[in-house]
Amino acid sequence: MTFSIRKAMAASALAVGMAWAGSPAYAKTQVNFTVAEYSSKTGPYFEEVAAAFEKENPDIHINIQVVPWDTLLQRLTTDIAGGQAPDISIVGTRWLVDFASQGIAEPVDSYLTPEFKSTFIDTFMAPSVIDGKTMGLPVAASARAMLVNTDLLEKAGAKAPANWDEFYTTAEKLKALPDTFAFGLQGKEIETDAYFYYSLWTHGGDILKGDGTSGLDTPEALQAVTLYKKMIDEGLTQPSPTNYTREDVFNLFKQGKVGMVFTFPMLIPQIKAEAPNLKYKVLPFPEGKARATYGVTDTLMLFSSSQVKKEAWKFIEFAYKDEWRTKFDHGEGFLPVTKNVAAEKYYSSDPDIAGFAAGLPYAKFAPTIANWEEIADTTVRALQQIYLGQAKPDEALKAAAADINKIRSK
Amino acid sequence: MKSRTRIPTTPLLMILPSFLLAMSIIGYPILDLAWTSMQEVSRFGKMMGFIGLANFAEVFRDPLFYSSLVRTLIWTVAVVGGTLIMSLPIAIMLNDDFHGRGLARVIVMLPWAISLTMTAVLWRWSLNGRAGLINATLMDFHIITEPIEWLATAPLAFTVEILVGILVSIPFTTTIFLGGLSSLPQDSYEAAVVDGAKPWELFRYITLPLMKPFINIAIVLNVIYVFNSLPIIWVMTEGGPANGTDILVTYLYKLAFRFGQLGKASAISLIMFFVLFVFTIAYVLMVMRQEHDSTAEEVKNDA
Amino acid sequence: MTPKLKKSLLYWLLLSPLCVVILLPFGVMFVTALRPRDELFVYPPTWTFSEFRWENFVEMWVKTNFGGALLNSLYVSVTSTIIAIVLSIPAAYALSRYRFSGKGLYRNFLLMTQMMSPIVLVLGLFRLMVHLNLVNSLNSLVVTYVAFNMAFTIWMLQSYFNTIPRELEEASWIDGATSFTSLVKIFLPLAVPAMVVTAIFTFINSWNEFVLALTLIRSQNDYTLPVQIFSQVAGRYQVEWHHVMAATVLATVPVAIVFSWLQRYLIRGMALGAVK
Repeated sequence: MTFSIRKAMAASALAVGMAWAGSPAYAKTQVNFTVAEYSSKTGPYFEEVAAAFEKENPDIHINIQVVPWDTLLQRLTTDIAGGQAPDISIVGTRWLVDFASQGIAEPVDSYLTPEFKSTFIDTFMAPSVIDGKTMGLPVAASARAMLVNTDLLEKAGAKAPANWDEFYTTAEKLKALPDTFAFGLQGKEIETDAYFYYSLWTHGGDILKGDGTSGLDTPEALQAVTLYKKMIDEGLTQPSPTNYTREDVFNLFKQGKVGMVFTFPMLIPQIKAEAPNLKYKVLPFPEGKARATYGVTDTLMLFSSSQVKKEAWKFIEFAYKDEWRTKFDHGEGFLPVTKNVAAEKYYSSDPDIAGFAAGLPYAKFAPTIANWEEIADTTVRALQQIYLGQAKPDEALKAAAADINKIRSK
Repeated sequence: MKSRTRIPTTPLLMILPSFLLAMSIIGYPILDLAWTSMQEVSRFGKMMGFIGLANFAEVFRDPLFYSSLVRTLIWTVAVVGGTLIMSLPIAIMLNDDFHGRGLARVIVMLPWAISLTMTAVLWRWSLNGRAGLINATLMDFHIITEPIEWLATAPLAFTVEILVGILVSIPFTTTIFLGGLSSLPQDSYEAAVVDGAKPWELFRYITLPLMKPFINIAIVLNVIYVFNSLPIIWVMTEGGPANGTDILVTYLYKLAFRFGQLGKASAISLIMFFVLFVFTIAYVLMVMRQEHDSTAEEVKNDA
Repeated sequence: MTPKLKKSLLYWLLLSPLCVVILLPFGVMFVTALRPRDELFVYPPTWTFSEFRWENFVEMWVKTNFGGALLNSLYVSVTSTIIAIVLSIPAAYALSRYRFSGKGLYRNFLLMTQMMSPIVLVLGLFRLMVHLNLVNSLNSLVVTYVAFNMAFTIWMLQSYFNTIPRELEEASWIDGATSFTSLVKIFLPLAVPAMVVTAIFTFINSWNEFVLALTLIRSQNDYTLPVQIFSQVAGRYQVEWHHVMAATVLATVPVAIVFSWLQRYLIRGMALGAVK
């Protein structure tokens, strides 16, 4: 379509009587900030930070746009395609390569003073570094761990498992309890693949092999998934995992119906509010050939198209002050990404948080590769076929690995 | 009457504003879509150059496209068919005089007032295997002994989604049918009753033929809306498990906004538009031939 | 037992499964909205709970900025309804009263505007709004809702117009009125009920629309109710179901009641116009 047609059509629409509409003019510099909604606290929190910032900087207006996480990528795609990208946005670190390779993310090295940079914990900074350039700042982090219902374990006379063999025998004992499921296994929607990576990594496998091809066709991957499948077949999980999203599995845990789940620190405040009498303990993932946890970060990204990078950066620096980071991490239940917050007593004395943080030294992160969402979807499809018994584990994994290699070579 | 046919510009001027608005607001994006479908499009919607029909070729190579297409047809036929079969008797009952008819009408219309997205969220929440109230209630009444995992396998999940689809289409369709029934001439019924016709015969030989135009319009509009309907399937299963409940529009949504394959997604949108267009034209032509009588009647009324 | 009573019992018996299925989600909505938070996940799930927690509504109202979203929704729905009606009246009148070349074509065009689901057009619509400088303005929603609802408002209005006898207008011409004054003075007052019903239909469609509102509105202060509510459902790590349901109750039940109450007018409107 030529520009003139677009113009003509635009004009005709105006002629129909919409001329009274228009965007308000801002006397102040406006910084558009797209915020992903983690919980109902997220929006109000960032509004508060923005208000405090605007008080100190009356010439800058921070326009907070809270977007539900499920629709964040749709929203950003539309915004970018329409030439209306925000100035700053929270994005999943796993999408960062896509943004970086398209020239949408602005490298922030030139803005990042050494003092500011040194406030971050290196483990969480690393995933945002692509080809030697820092493409954003870690804004939220979590590590995953196992949660066990200690009442159920006690009733079953089982002990908390440290490795996969013990995990299996504990599960068998838990199964003997009436009306109880031993292991809550996620099989639906977002992070179904992550639930499998926990097993993959601890069995010694990885998402990508050394040569960059998919690690799904390795014996470790097969072992990891076979264990889950065996547990499904033997009734050691809740029935029909493909009907259970992450949230559903955790709800079973809150109901006290399930003995062991793999989860994130943000579940703890929910348990305290929704199931105050539940007795639980945070433990590392069962060990196999390796120890592992999944470190997940989100990144605060600056857009290269932004006309107000200086102002945006000023706000970013403001928002990373300790008082704000403390409030954010405590409110959402995240692990701290800055050293000062991490040094707070809360993070070492609280057994729950400490339990999640303990895994950080050996945490694995999702590889920063292009088309991650499509690769994750391919993995989930294979897992669901296996869980449902529609495909043999080795065949499904091999096919998925081939598909992933094809996507990777695009 | 004469004075009006002499100046044919008046009616054209009268439809012009609505035409222009619809043309620019809906026409522009369609052209944009057509243009995008023939471009190489970057991950975030930047046009990288003209590539002709390559996006379409890629769609036609994709096995998931075909399985989604087949499922879309099943979905459309099942939901529209189910809706019609349900709605006609409901409309006939609601058109008849009985105690509490007002209340019954209100209840049947209720689903129309809630957005599809929220309806789907509510059903998903109620159908939840162990935390949902549906299983709990069925178990309380001893209809089932174990909770049913409604959305765990594709065949059952798809069936449930079709049923919810039917449920939310009933109010609209029933309304059309009620409108039709209320306009049926009473005298032909009375004559038939005098002749000793049985209720079934009344329905078969009087109601059904007279209702035909209403049934047809219900079919066309429902096919269009159901074929394109995203929220029910998307909210309940996101097309899963293992793409087992994906229809074209959910698959397309995933391609466009999760995987960033905007070119391919645009191509699928156009193919969908084409399918609907052909269906409607074919149906309208077919129906129009049958309905010569009612058209003649319209002309008579107009005169 | 009178025949009517017998018939009533039979009909209610036949309709009852449907009624149960329709009312069930509403029931679920209410019992979830009124529950204390720590009773959301009891096992087995129950319809009953320890106390009616009306505070859920208050908490939700404050937390989700419900009032602001309510005003936005009202603005968008009312404005788009008015514009849709104003633009549709002449078109419907033309279709109802004139015979002109292009009439059939125009009808087919209206049908075609319904063939694309908004989600498919979202990118193009967004680009269009950028050109019109309407991004981040509630008016972008108004224009779009008018366009997408117009086919239906025209069909419905036309069907009513067909039922208004021409003789009335013709009589006024004899009295010397121009067609315009006869339209305004005689015809439109008669068409008021039709406009009200059509308006309600458009209002509800705009009130419930989600996909376009999510894409075209970029500032939280401008969110409409469905987006505001959905952002509660789609929290990444946590969903506060009691608040979600409380919000849904407040957003839908008043509308549902008004709508159902007025449905008998709707039925009349749907009757003829859609067919002809």
